[in-house]
Order: sequence, then structure tokens, then C-alpha cells
Amino acid sequence: MKSIFIIYNQALTEKVEYMLDRLEIRGYTQFPQITGRGSQTGVPHLGTHTWPEINSATMTIVEDEKVAVILEKIQKMNSINEEVGIRAFVWDIIQAV
Amino acid sequence: MSIYGSAVKKPITTIMIFMAVIVFGLYSLVNLPIELYPDIEFPAITVFTSYPGASAADIETNVSKPLENALNTVDQLKQLSSVSRDNISVVTLEFEYESDLSEAANDIRDALSLVEDALPEDAEKPMIFKFSSTMIPILMFAITAEESYEGIEKTLDEKLINPLNRIDGVGSISLIGTPIREVGIKINPRKLEAYNLTVEQIGNILRAENLNMPTGSIKMGEMNYPLRVEGEFSSSDQIANVVLGNYYGQAIYLKDVAVVSDSIKDMTVDEKINGKPGVRMMVQKQSGANTVKVAKEINKTIAKLKENLPPDVEIVTIFDTSSFINGSINNLTKTLMYALIFVTLVVMFFLGRWRATFIIVLTIPISLIVSFIFLHLSGSSINIISLSALSIAIGMVVDDAIVVLENIAKHIDRGSTPREAAIYATNEVWLAVIVTTLTVVAVFLPMTMVGGMTGVMFRQLGWIVSITVVTSTLAAISLTPMLSSKLLRLHTKKEKPGRFSYDNTIEPMLTRFDNWYGRVLGWSLRNKWKVLFASFVIFFGSLFLTGNLGTEFMPESDEGRLSIYVELQSGTRLEKSSELAVKIDSIIASYPEVELISYSAGSDENGGFLSLFNSTGTNIINFMIGLKNVEERDRSVWEIAEEIRNKFAEYPEIVNFDISTGGGGMATSTSVDVEIYGYNIEKTTMLANQFADSIKKLEGARNVQISREKEKPELRIELDREKMSAVGLNTALVSSALYNRISGLTATRYREEGDEFDVVIRFEEKYRNSISDIENITLQTATGNSVKLKEIGSVNEYWSPPNIERKRRERLVTVSVTPYKVSMGDLAQQIQSKINQVDVPGDILVDVGGAYEDQQESFVDLAMLLLLSLVLVYLVMASQFESLKMPLIIMISIPFAFTGVILGLLITNTTLSVIAALGAIMLVGIVVKNAIVLVDYINLMRDRGYALDVAIIESGKSRLRPVLMTALTTILGMLPLAFSTGEGSEIWSPMGISVIGGLIFSTIITMVIVPVFYRFIASSGERDKKDNVRKKFIFMDI
Repeated sequence: MKSIFIIYNQALTEKVEYMLDRLEIRGYTQFPQITGRGSQTGVPHLGTHTWPEINSATMTIVEDEKVAVILEKIQKMNSINEEVGIRAFVWDIIQAV
Repeated sequence: MSIYGSAVKKPITTIMIFMAVIVFGLYSLVNLPIELYPDIEFPAITVFTSYPGASAADIETNVSKPLENALNTVDQLKQLSSVSRDNISVVTLEFEYESDLSEAANDIRDALSLVEDALPEDAEKPMIFKFSSTMIPILMFAITAEESYEGIEKTLDEKLINPLNRIDGVGSISLIGTPIREVGIKINPRKLEAYNLTVEQIGNILRAENLNMPTGSIKMGEMNYPLRVEGEFSSSDQIANVVLGNYYGQAIYLKDVAVVSDSIKDMTVDEKINGKPGVRMMVQKQSGANTVKVAKEINKTIAKLKENLPPDVEIVTIFDTSSFINGSINNLTKTLMYALIFVTLVVMFFLGRWRATFIIVLTIPISLIVSFIFLHLSGSSINIISLSALSIAIGMVVDDAIVVLENIAKHIDRGSTPREAAIYATNEVWLAVIVTTLTVVAVFLPMTMVGGMTGVMFRQLGWIVSITVVTSTLAAISLTPMLSSKLLRLHTKKEKPGRFSYDNTIEPMLTRFDNWYGRVLGWSLRNKWKVLFASFVIFFGSLFLTGNLGTEFMPESDEGRLSIYVELQSGTRLEKSSELAVKIDSIIASYPEVELISYSAGSDENGGFLSLFNSTGTNIINFMIGLKNVEERDRSVWEIAEEIRNKFAEYPEIVNFDISTGGGGMATSTSVDVEIYGYNIEKTTMLANQFADSIKKLEGARNVQISREKEKPELRIELDREKMSAVGLNTALVSSALYNRISGLTATRYREEGDEFDVVIRFEEKYRNSISDIENITLQTATGNSVKLKEIGSVNEYWSPPNIERKRRERLVTVSVTPYKVSMGDLAQQIQSKINQVDVPGDILVDVGGAYEDQQESFVDLAMLLLLSLVLVYLVMASQFESLKMPLIIMISIPFAFTGVILGLLITNTTLSVIAALGAIMLVGIVVKNAIVLVDYINLMRDRGYALDVAIIESGKSRLRPVLMTALTTILGMLPLAFSTGEGSEIWSPMGISVIGGLIFSTIITMVIVPVFYRFIASSGERDKKDNVRKKFIFMDI
């Protein structure tokens, strides 16, 4: 089991939701309206007058074999327009109840 | 859920809501009445008091003064004035605009009830007369006839007026100058004396003969017969054969001593329409009725009723206020359509996308329609003010939609689906959009609070623009995102765009323009001192130009109507006046522009209502001239008036004339009045004449009129009481005898077919037209002897005293002047300097007022409005930027807008009227909007870490297109307003000119001076901000 934390410009919300449905991933947790900025490229998404864009995040816990598919789809999504911005981070799930 | 989120997610609901708005709007539009101006009642009430037999001076002391003292305490009273004439006192109370006149009338009644006892016993009860705009006739017809002229009143009454009166909304219809049938008995006084008869005796005999009387009933057999004496004349011929008495056994008939004629009453008025005898028919509407609708109905009905009238009766329209209203409204509607087209083209030019243009332009009809709902709910009408307000708003309502749509398009281009882009892009800009709208509302909403006459006129404008702009913002954040989500597609860059495609033609052009502007901005920043200096020179230079700018109150409009008042030597008889009238008539008729001339010479005794406005008398001729449509003639109504003025100067018999070019409606007074206050009549009259003479020499001064009427010659019969008592007569007996002989004794009434006609006995005219004739009038004494008038008194010639006018409870005489080809402000100044040259006695006060005074008052109101708008705009911007400095940078563009207004007015040779000044005030909101867009973006770029100069230049380049786009939509939206030449265009074109001039100039300046000014003010501030932050967190570095 791996956890994937996807952070994206809220303009991509529908695409991300569609992707999860498409890959038959039922469970996820959404964090709407969050702000932040990237480490290397892209403009900050701070929801301020200066940086008006806003992010959302989705965390989903999936079987190990699905991780590669998801990352591949996210990569595709990012390549449409890198300015919009989507990132994903994966970490292990040690235990679950 | 946010408004734009819901709108995008529920497109059907959104469309339904807007459909509902449109349906309501169209419903309101259909039901809105069409008028020229918003409903404004002139707030004045007049109190008439007649005191028969009193002279003007008596009236003043005994009636006018006590009335004034009592009425002075009435609430909301603005000005109190009075005119005292022989026999009558007229006190006029002028109230503040929008006072409740019915309440005021009640107050007046209360005040009058307190003072009534103090009035002279013989004075009649004061009458209260409330003037209302519904009394101004909406239609006037000339009706001419030949054979049927004599009975025209009856014919018209039955066949025309009665059916017309049944039309909904018609207040009253009256005929002016109708011939009245009368049986006249013209006595030869010599014969009367020979038979030892008197006029009174003849009157008694006729009264006694013209009688039907029931005399009881008699029973005969089984029947009961009522008994009647039938003595009434069954034809007017019988009157001549009435036996007056016996003289040595011979019967004396009426025809022996008099000529009996059954014809038209001796006319004191001579009406001619296009040279033919005729009458005028005047139509007034009920208050609140729709002028255009009533006029249309009347014209339709008249066309139908014409068939029933005798064939020689012709009906011509003298004026029809509805045609001017229709003309202006059609003109403005056309203006609106052009504005819509221009705005669409501008948006298309800058965006290059059909779908986007459609979405943006759709906000225009929606926003405009909402204002119809407002007009309907507030009980107002479609009029010049409301339509020009729409014209103004049309360029502004697209601004918000443009901002929203641009951002959505940007998101779509970056790969978002239209639906997401619509929601999130709107989320990013909706607050900014609302704030810019607030600045516009900050300018227009205060307009609804201005008092006085200006306030009444511009309240609608303020409300309409505020409402449409707010609606447009609401539409921009709901309808625009919704439609974008449905209609916009990803704008793919074509590999090979067509040779004449947008990408290959306009787009590179705009890009080059952006870059050029970037270079200009760079240069300006490097040479900021020069730029600053140059712009200050331009601004202060333009202030010097204001001196050349004429001022006036309201622009005059060419309604194609002239009314001329010609006064001959007082006492001139009607025949002489008519002769001259015919001459003038033929001169005016020779002008190709003239369509109709109607005149009336003399006074109609039953003129009633109209004589309240026009002075009448046998020496006075009133002309009414209708010109062709504005488009069909070369000369304006003012030029024609000027030509007539020059012609009149050739007639020495014309002692005074007044040519006015205004029609009905409001704000037609354009005169400068010199008010001379002082008790001594001779002194003030002399001073008035002196002023009038020196003013007449001024270039551009026309229609110089002195309000105090000239003294009239009058014959006074002075009776000797001792001689009268010796023969048993008294003043009452003598004066009634004279009245019967000269004015005529109405002996009885002749009845024919249900109508009654007066039978009037008087001396034949040749026996009553000289002083000696009057002196030789024989009176019968109590003992039955005869005595001549000259034996008991004498006839002397006198000059009767003039009317006495009062204002602010002091005697006054006014010299009024109409400007021609000079502005009213200039004329007033010249007059003031003329007055200063004259040594005015200490007890006399001279004041310049009139429409000039209204103008001054309105300018003060507008200045207050400007101040209020500036403060409000500052407040809104300061809170938007959370800064006290930023609003100042933005507001630096306002003075240059005024420079542009001044230049615009000077170039087009337009005077600074209240309307033009209003345009200048509106600019505050419009201009500031441009600068906000720019400064906001510079701030943004600086926050994103760009260096000051880079931030300024880059923001300039990126904001150039939106700024140009909003400015151009506003400018082009107003262009048709400014340059239309049709009916009524004079009224609103100054507003268009000042807004366009101001906006063009200030946009150019804004794009240069605002960035430079920003550079000056913001540089240190931003640096300090970073230092401050570092100081706060200094502990981290230790």
C-alpha cells in the first residue's frame, strides 16, 4: 500500500477526479482551497491578489501496482500545460485500520 | 457556493433568471410613457386678488403688501414676487423643487384666511392658482374657414371638440379667437333724443317683449288647458320691429332709431392663419397622461372627423409637442443602436473571437433592460435624460465582462476545460471587478442626491447609470462565466493562419503598438522630470484657456418654433395693428423655411387662460411661426429670429418686440435679468431705461425688455358732484349710463335652436369715437329732463400709472436680455461691467439674475457634486489598495480629463453648460477606472518581485489593450451622442463632447503620467517596506 499525495492547481480538479474514477480508485481524501508554492519552477499559488491561483490536493491510498499508472497519468496531465501545475508525491503506508 | 460557481453549475437556472429579467424589462418598456423630460412640476403657486376700481399703487399697498407679509412664512418658500396692476394683484410664490405643492397650497390657504379680514372690503376673495406642466398645450391647431367661418364655433363644438374630448388623457380642448354671434342694436343717439328715449328704456322694452310666460290654466268642458303667453322673438328680424312707444299717435319702431344686425360680435381680436380667417384650437392633456399617445390619438381622430366638417374648413397643425418628442427619442434610439454597433466592433477588434464578442455584447441589452424596470417601478418615463443615460452606460457595461472573459480565455488557453476555467478564472477577478464598479457608482450615485433643478434633471441619470453598471457587474460574474463555459473553445494556434486572418493582420499590429508604447514608457521614466514638467504646463495652460470658454445654463434646442410679440404704440386701434400684422405676415411668409404663420392681433376678451402668459391689448400682435424640420432647412431658428429682428427695426411703428425661439417644456428661459430694486418708480424706471439703452449697444444682446409696462393713455371722466346733485344724478348712475352707451347694454338673450345669443344695445360706432362725442352724450335726469355729459363733468386725457412688480417684498423692475451668439456668462459679465459704470443711487439695489442666476446655482450644485464624487472615489480606492498613496497616483489623471474637456469644448465651439459640466463630473468615474487597471497591475508586478522600472514598463505593455479597449468602448459609445444633429441633439451633445474630449486626452496622458508619477511616489515607499520587515525579524540574523 502506498499513499499518493497529489497537489494541483484547482483548475485541474475535474481532471484529477476523472482520473481516479477511470482507474477505479474509490477512496481518497480531498483538501480543497489550499495554497503553496513550488520548489523549482512555476509561480506561487497563494490565493492572494498578487498570486491569485489556488491549489487543491487529493490524497489516495492505493495498491502498489497502481502507483505507476497514476504517476504516468499525472505526468500526461502536467505535460498539457506545465504552467498550470500538478505534482504528486508517494510514500509508504506502514499500517492501516 | 459562490455566485459564479452556481451559475456555471446550473446553466438553465441562470438563463431562466436572466430571461425573467428580460421579460420584466420588455413589459416595462412597453408600458413606459414617452416624454421629453422627466416629470418636473414648476413649483409655483399664484394668488390672484381682484379689487375693482383700485389703481396699481392702491393695489400694491392694500392688497399685494399684506398678502406678501402673510405668505412669507409659508414652508419651503424660495421666492415671493408680485405684480400689482389696475384692479388686480398677482402674488407668485416659488417653491423649492420637489416641494409638495398640495401641502403648500394648504399652507397658503391657511395664511390667506388670517389676512383676509385685513384686505379692503371691496376686494374679492384671493384665488389660488397652481401652475402645472399639464397646462402647457401639447397640441395647437389652426382651423381656417371661409363660408362657414361665422358659425364655426358651433360647428367645431359639436363635430370636433366633443368627440375629441372623449379621448383618454385629454384634459381640455379650447378654441381661441372664435367669432361670437351677437344681435347688435346700433343706436343713433340723435334720433333717440328726438323721440325722448334712452338706451335703458329700450333695454327694458326688449326685456319685456322677449318673454314666454305661463299664465295659469282654464277648464273648458272636460279638458284643462294650460295658458301661455308666447312673446319670445322667433327670429332676429322681429327685434327691429319692436314698438318702442307712440309719438303723436305714430308707433316708433326700433328700426327707426337703430340699426339691428344679427352677425358677429365686434371683434377685439383678429386671428389669421396663413392669411385666412380662422380660430386656434388648443389641446391640454391630463396630468400623468402620455403626451405622445394622446397626440397620436387626437391626430387620428381629427383625420376621421374631418369628413363630417364643411368642405371649406381646413385644419393645420401649428405645433405638436409630440413630434419633437418623437424626433428626439427616435434620434436617441438611433444613437443607442450606433453605440451598440461601435462597441461590438471594438470588442471584436481587440479580442478577435466571435464567440467571446457575443458573450460580452450580450451584457449590454441585459443591463439596459434592467433600467427600464427601474423607470417603470419609479413611475418615470422614457425621455431625453433616461435615454442619454443609457447611451452613456452602454460603453461602460461591457468593461466588467471583458475583464472576466479575458481571464477565462487565458485559463482555457492554458489547457483548462472551459467549465473549470470559467469558475476558477472568475474566482480570481471577481473582487477586482466589483471594486472598479464601486468607483463608478461612487460618482453616479451622489447625482441622485443633488437638490435644486439640476438635481431633478440628473437624478434619473444617476440612478440609471448606477443600476446598469451594477447589473452589468452581476451579469459579468454569473452570466459571462456560464456562457463562457458553454461557448468558449480552446483557441488553437493554427499552423498556418490565413493571410487576412486576425492572427496575421490585427494581432501583429497590436503587438507592435504594445512594444512602441513600452519604448515610450521607458523614455518617459528616464526623463521623468521633463515629463512631469510638460504635463503640468499642459494642465495649467488649459486652465488659461477656460477664459475663452463661454458658459450657459442649458443648451438651447431648435424646436422649429418661433413666437413673436409685437407691441405698437399703446392705444393703437385694432384695425391699425391688423394692417401691420398683414405686412409682417407677408414678410415672414417669404422665408423658405417657414411652414405656417398664425397671428392674433388684439385681445380676446374670453382668452382666459392664454392671456395669463401673453399680454394682450389692441396694440399687441402675437405671432406663432412653425418652421420646417431641422434637416430640411439650412438656417437655424436663431438665425431666422435674428433676420426678423433686423426687419422689425425698419418699422418705426413697432415700439417693442420680443422674439422667442423656445417651445413648451422646461428650461426654456435663457435670459439674463438685471433686477433693479427701489421704491421710487420714476427713479427706477429711468435707471432701467438707462441700462436698457447701454445694454442694447452690447454685441450679442437681443430682446432687451423692461418688465415695467409703459404708461397707457387713458381718458378720465371727472364729474362735478355739485352739478350732478342739482340735476339729481350721482356717479353710479352716470357711469352705468356711460357703460350702456359705449360698452353696451346686454338687454336680453335671443334664443335659437337651443343656443342663446346676447342682444346688445349701444351707440353706433361713429357716435362714440371722439372726446366730443362722449361729452355730448345725453343723460336723463331723475325728473325726466336731459342733460349733456359736458354739463356735469369733463373728459380729460391722462397717463395711467404702470404695473408695480415686487420681489422679495420690494419694488422691482427687470431688464431682461437674451444672448445671441455669445454665451450667457459672457453677456452677464459685460452687463455687470456696464452696470458698474453707472452711478446707482444709494436707495436702489441692482442685481444680475434670471437664467444666469439658475446657471450659477447649478454650477455650485455641480461643484459640490464633483467634490463629493472625488471624496467617495478616494475612499473606495484607498480601501481597495489598502493605501493612502495609491489613490493619489490614480487621481492625478483627473485634472487631465478636465484639460481634455476644455479642449474638446473649445475645438467644437461648445459652451460650458450644466450638461457639459455634468459630463466632466462623470469623467471622474470613467477616467479613474483606466488608471486603476494600470496601477493595480504595476503593484502586482512589484509584489511578484520585479524591479520598479521593469514592473512599470511590463505592466504598461500588458495593460495597454484592456485600457484602450474600455476607453474606446466608452468613447465610441458616446460618439453618436456627441455628433448627432437631429431634433433635440443640442441638449445632450455637449455631454458627449466633454466626455469624449476628456477621455481621449486623459487616456493618452494617463498612460504616461500615471506611471511616471508612480515612479516618483512609490519608489521609496516600497523600499522602506522591505527594510521594515527585515528590522522586525532582525533576531534571526543575530
